[in-house]
Amino acid sequence: MRIGTAKQSYAHDESLFDTRTQWGWLATLGITLLAFPFVANDYWLYLACLVAINIASATGLNILTGYTGLVSLGQAAFMGLGAYTVAIFEQRFGTPAVLNLLAGGGVAMLVGVVVGIPSLRVKGLYLAISTIAASFILHFVFANWTSLTGGTGGMTVPPANFFGIPLDTSFRLYWLVVPVALTMLVCAANLFRTRIGRAFIAIRDRDISAEVLGIPLLRYKLTSFALSSFYAGVAGGLWAYFFRVVTPESFPLMMSIFFLAAVIVGGMGTILGGILGAIFMTMVPEVLKLIVGWLPLGSEGAVILSPVRTIVFGLLIVGFLIFEPLGLQELWRRVRRFFHLWPFRAQG
Amino acid sequence: MKQKSIVKWLGSLAAAASLFAAPVAQAEEDIVIGGSIPMTGVFAFAGIGIHAGITDYVKMINDTGGIKGRKIKYVPEDTAYKVDASVAAFKKITGQNKVNLYYGDSTAFAKTINPELERMGSIIMAGASFATEINDPKKYPNQFLVGPDYTEMIGILMRHIAKEKPGAKVAFVYSDTEFGRDPIDEGEALAKRLGLNVTGKIMTPPGSVDVSTEIVKLRRAAPDYTIFHGYILAPIPEFISQARKMGMTSQFMGTFWSMDNSMVMKMGEAAEGFMGVMPFRYYYESDAKAPMLEKIRKMRPEYQSNAYMQGFLTAMLFTEAAKRTLDAGKTLDGKNLKASLNTIKNFDTGGVVGVPITIRGNSIPVGRIYRFDSKQQKMLPASDWIHLD
Repeated sequence: MRIGTAKQSYAHDESLFDTRTQWGWLATLGITLLAFPFVANDYWLYLACLVAINIASATGLNILTGYTGLVSLGQAAFMGLGAYTVAIFEQRFGTPAVLNLLAGGGVAMLVGVVVGIPSLRVKGLYLAISTIAASFILHFVFANWTSLTGGTGGMTVPPANFFGIPLDTSFRLYWLVVPVALTMLVCAANLFRTRIGRAFIAIRDRDISAEVLGIPLLRYKLTSFALSSFYAGVAGGLWAYFFRVVTPESFPLMMSIFFLAAVIVGGMGTILGGILGAIFMTMVPEVLKLIVGWLPLGSEGAVILSPVRTIVFGLLIVGFLIFEPLGLQELWRRVRRFFHLWPFRAQG
Repeated sequence: MKQKSIVKWLGSLAAAASLFAAPVAQAEEDIVIGGSIPMTGVFAFAGIGIHAGITDYVKMINDTGGIKGRKIKYVPEDTAYKVDASVAAFKKITGQNKVNLYYGDSTAFAKTINPELERMGSIIMAGASFATEINDPKKYPNQFLVGPDYTEMIGILMRHIAKEKPGAKVAFVYSDTEFGRDPIDEGEALAKRLGLNVTGKIMTPPGSVDVSTEIVKLRRAAPDYTIFHGYILAPIPEFISQARKMGMTSQFMGTFWSMDNSMVMKMGEAAEGFMGVMPFRYYYESDAKAPMLEKIRKMRPEYQSNAYMQGFLTAMLFTEAAKRTLDAGKTLDGKNLKASLNTIKNFDTGGVVGVPITIRGNSIPVGRIYRFDSKQQKMLPASDWIHLD
């Protein structure tokens, strides 16, 4: 049983991970992530990269929706901006991948600020509708600015290059995607220990009170949009390197709903929630497929059970929303609390 | 007891570890067809037919001893018609099997997986896409289309129109998608070459139902023929019904994915006289020598869709390419399989296609015009088979 964490210095008080146990688990995670590409096959590496990209984007949306309370359904369109920017930079200029990703994030960030302007006047569903409108406009631009985007046929993206090594397999891309996603996670986790992050939370909890407390809503709401869009842009850039083809249909509205669902299922307003939500939304359909595959039903059985699998996935999401409205992260916290107090039990 | 539980625990760990393990070596005699098949999602109506078609042909081949004694193994995986799930299925299937032949479910997947196919060099792929872009052997050396590409489909329709009514006025109605826009520019250029007059190009938003403004545009264009492309069903019935109410006498036509008999029947009254291009015969056709259709009807007494025929023919061409490669004493890899596929000339499909087929480039540029007969509730032939040069 853990009975307390005595913090004896300011540095200790400020640290993101404050116990030896946490550092131990973090080291285990680090070693696992380093060893994973050497033991996993291409399928699992592919899924790992996809999960990492989705975590990066979900974390971006979490900054905006979970922490600042601004609902957005434009995440996929911002990812599209990042993806197209990376595709254009890579195809036309051949600039380094990291620079392209930053450019992708930057372009998405600038557009995000513009899209965020209505958030000063509208909230909730109204804001969601305005972000949908923005995503339709961006989709139109992707499909019709043919000289730049290749029109509906889209663009083919050359592989990212790292000191002459083309990152053209899941194994090689893993070493780009996962470190970038981890860096973004650490930055996001630290953001909410700063004035900016706490201002976001204050705006989410009560924007009028936040303004009374001296938080300029204009600046901070747009900052939140900018940061969220930057995350989406970088995630979109990673997506472009990962799939190597970018078309207007690559980033549909459903994708934005996917990320919003990930944030809600995982737990809004926590970094862990974004991570768990993205893992859940990406991996559960695959895990259900594996389970159906293990059943001795043959390919005809798979045809019959495929719709059932989709229903089960939907029911799982609804189930979590009903029985654990605080999301998967709350389940995780409960499990942690159980082990912290073991062999005793928490009351209530 | 303790030892037993440790053994049990280790067993579970080994089972879990096997999930991550490297590809399991396939028994050498099996030739594997992998498939990213949309059994759920918006394209499930086609995916289920495609799956049945491939399954049936594989069964037929295996029942007659396989190819040179090697059995065919078909490994499908549902994708819900999502690119990321299709790629995951590809990685999973190719990770667990030694795959040489693969069925892909969409144009987006075909484009996404192309670099991987080239890198692997061991697989040829066909699929549900008829995108013109894929009909380029230089850009897509390991893929082919089972039928004409969308531009060629429009070309077949145009040739029929030019023959039936020289100098006719034609309008295109298409969806604002990659699928919809695919053949329009080329189709317009071809119309000019054939002396046809394109009087309207009407693009509708994807999934649109209310098309009243577009119908007004169509009325202004006053075409003799209206070609729909980029749709499965909606908004075609709405277009036809409203156009006829306005007194328009245009002949309405479609391309492959809007030509399934059961789909056309869903148009109701609007279906009467609906025409279009089909690269394959319909399930029920018995007016010509078609032994393969007889076999299909014996295996499945109920109606099978066009998607079934496409899946069936894909499996036939896959196995023919594998057979020719093995006959030549070559290894089954992407290059050899594609080279063997390109040797297919005047190939008898047993009546699945009404004429012997030849693979040119990455496509099979042949098709026939069918017209819906509301009395028989069937699409019936309205032309001979039309070959494109």
